[in-house]
Amino acid sequence: MHNVASIEVEADMIRANNKLAEGNRKVLDENNVFSVDLVGAVGSGKTSLLETLIDQMDDSIGVIAGDILSKFDAKRIEDKNVPVKGLNTGKECHLDAHLVEHALDDVPLSDISILFVENVGNLICPADFQLGTHIRVVIISVTEGDDTAEKHPMIFKDADMAIVNKVDLADAVGADADKMVNDVKSINPNIPVVKCSLKTNEGVEEIISLFKKFQDEL
Amino acid sequence: MHELSMATSMVDAILDTAKKNDAIKVTEAVLEVGELTMLNPEQLKFMIDVVREDTIMEEANIIINMIPIEIECESCGYEGEIVIDNTMDHLMAVATCPECEKASVHVRKGQECNVKTIKIEREDEDA
Repeated sequence: MHNVASIEVEADMIRANNKLAEGNRKVLDENNVFSVDLVGAVGSGKTSLLETLIDQMDDSIGVIAGDILSKFDAKRIEDKNVPVKGLNTGKECHLDAHLVEHALDDVPLSDISILFVENVGNLICPADFQLGTHIRVVIISVTEGDDTAEKHPMIFKDADMAIVNKVDLADAVGADADKMVNDVKSINPNIPVVKCSLKTNEGVEEIISLFKKFQDEL
Repeated sequence: MHELSMATSMVDAILDTAKKNDAIKVTEAVLEVGELTMLNPEQLKFMIDVVREDTIMEEANIIINMIPIEIECESCGYEGEIVIDNTMDHLMAVATCPECEKASVHVRKGQECNVKTIKIEREDEDA
């Protein structure tokens, strides 16, 4: 006969991730780097937005580009001559604080003032995982359908800024961009939502000034 | 959608605790999963079954308790569970307070993915 014992474990996986995220935040703060978790579906315009921001912002930008397997996104950023660390999750549908912790070792933090962390293309899973960045920005596009925001409320609930991209295509795909803005506002009333087109540059200035505002508020 | 990574982490946490306590077998594990996580308990259980093969917890009874969503409203001070209306998207419900219907709510519970307790067997010391 074996003796039997009942043991308290209390190991919460999400809390463990949040703790690592706090560590990441500390590293970023120590290096005076303002950081942004950029979340959006596949094809919403995350990499295109980063390319535009690199061209139009005065700050020294660094990028961690998350992708499941490929290095395409990292390559596009590399072509802009800014420090970029490609981060392949292998099979995971999201970045987590642990992956970012290791990626931070390969980013020259003392040379940059803003770090963008491009999350894996997905509006669902990243909601469970804080990375330790200062803000989270969610980008959706009219081509995903104008019910995208109301179908994914959790990702907007804790976001700090939202971007509705490709508004120049709204008529062509029969989407109502204003509905998308209102849906985001109904989930998170205090969040700034910018209608944007990376093709026409509509809204880009507003996005840049919002980043400055967040940075100043730190 | 990320049940595999969560299952792997949970099985690691269970086996780690079991080892530290000189277990030869894990007979039960109680897990807590928040209703608000993007985790499906059936998929989680399936993934745990895959990950725990050939370990000392292979035959453990896995109990998954779902933790209901609790919120705190900044506007009216309501604290407690949310009312889930089956006609609406249940995740949307968390966005508004059931009392004042405003959206300025903080989530207090429902985001857990926790290994709560385990039951183990040890060799008898006399043996």
